[in-house]
Amino acid sequence: MIHERPGMVQPALIGGIAAGILTAVPFVNCFCCLWIIGGAIVAAYLYNKRTSVPLTPGDGAVLGILTGIAAAVTDSIVSLPFERMNQEFVQRFMTQFSEFVEEMPSGWERWLDQRTGPMSPAWFLLGLLSSAVIYAAFGALGGLIGASIVGRKKGPPPGSPADETNQNPGYRQP
Amino acid sequence: MPEEVPLKKDRDDRARIRKAVLTIYLATAAAFLVWLGGILLAPYLESRSSPWAGLAYFVYKPVCHQIADRSFSCFGRPLAVCARCTGIYLGFLIGLGLYPLLRGWGRPALPAGRVFFLVSAPILLDTAANFLRLWDTPNAGRLVTGILWGTILPFYVMSGLADLVLSRKKRLKSARNCP
Repeated sequence: MIHERPGMVQPALIGGIAAGILTAVPFVNCFCCLWIIGGAIVAAYLYNKRTSVPLTPGDGAVLGILTGIAAAVTDSIVSLPFERMNQEFVQRFMTQFSEFVEEMPSGWERWLDQRTGPMSPAWFLLGLLSSAVIYAAFGALGGLIGASIVGRKKGPPPGSPADETNQNPGYRQP
Repeated sequence: MPEEVPLKKDRDDRARIRKAVLTIYLATAAAFLVWLGGILLAPYLESRSSPWAGLAYFVYKPVCHQIADRSFSCFGRPLAVCARCTGIYLGFLIGLGLYPLLRGWGRPALPAGRVFFLVSAPILLDTAANFLRLWDTPNAGRLVTGILWGTILPFYVMSGLADLVLSRKKRLKSARNCP
């Protein structure tokens, strides 16, 4: 289904690794999904810089999907040490909090166990898989936005086979 | 008489594009409604002490920080995504509603780059200012900047998916015609 053009992998890896790191680091990750979209826009820019053929929406989406998958793998690996830090922080905070509050909300210990329990390999793989699907969708969106921003700047040489894309108004902006 | 052949081909092409775009639109809307429903399902399950609540929140964790202070509540529990993300998804829903009115069912075109910069400026400025602690936007403000940005996104999604599907169909057709 996905027909990637040659040279897509490197820009996708650069954008994906950068987005994955920024998504994993606590505090910086307050930008939520914007990092993935931003990473795919960067990948579209890098790809567009090295090719003379304009980036079509379809190419932008494929590039974004690859960026999203690279970001998911990077995020899953980089966030592992931070996960442990977060668990320790939340557990310490809740223990201290319970000393000051007379009545804690019911079921808070179960909630804490659910959220901060040790991560099993199965849980890790499930997280990686769901991240890959979700980041690929967000990455595709970023790739499309990138195509709309950078895709029009270069036109194919007139009469070249790539000129066929000129017949496709899909990549043109109104 | 010979002029009727290209005209018929043109009409057939337009009908084919219309059918593909409509199918893509309905599939996007269905998938998005499932995603949006999950955002409400997570606090509902949590309020019922369901063991599935953790999984429901977990699905949205990769794309949102899920800080409870910065999220709206439903069923007495925080939503699965923050106020800004809720705004983006609500904006996406509004954009999906506006799409047929603004673009119809013809071959979709990407929005202009300047439009993207215009609707992105508020969310980027506000997120950066909050990050740098220049000001602290209330959740309602985060929601509004999210809605504004999210509204343009379906126009990108429709254009990309339509381009992928139509170019694939074209490739398959030309492969079939090749001896």
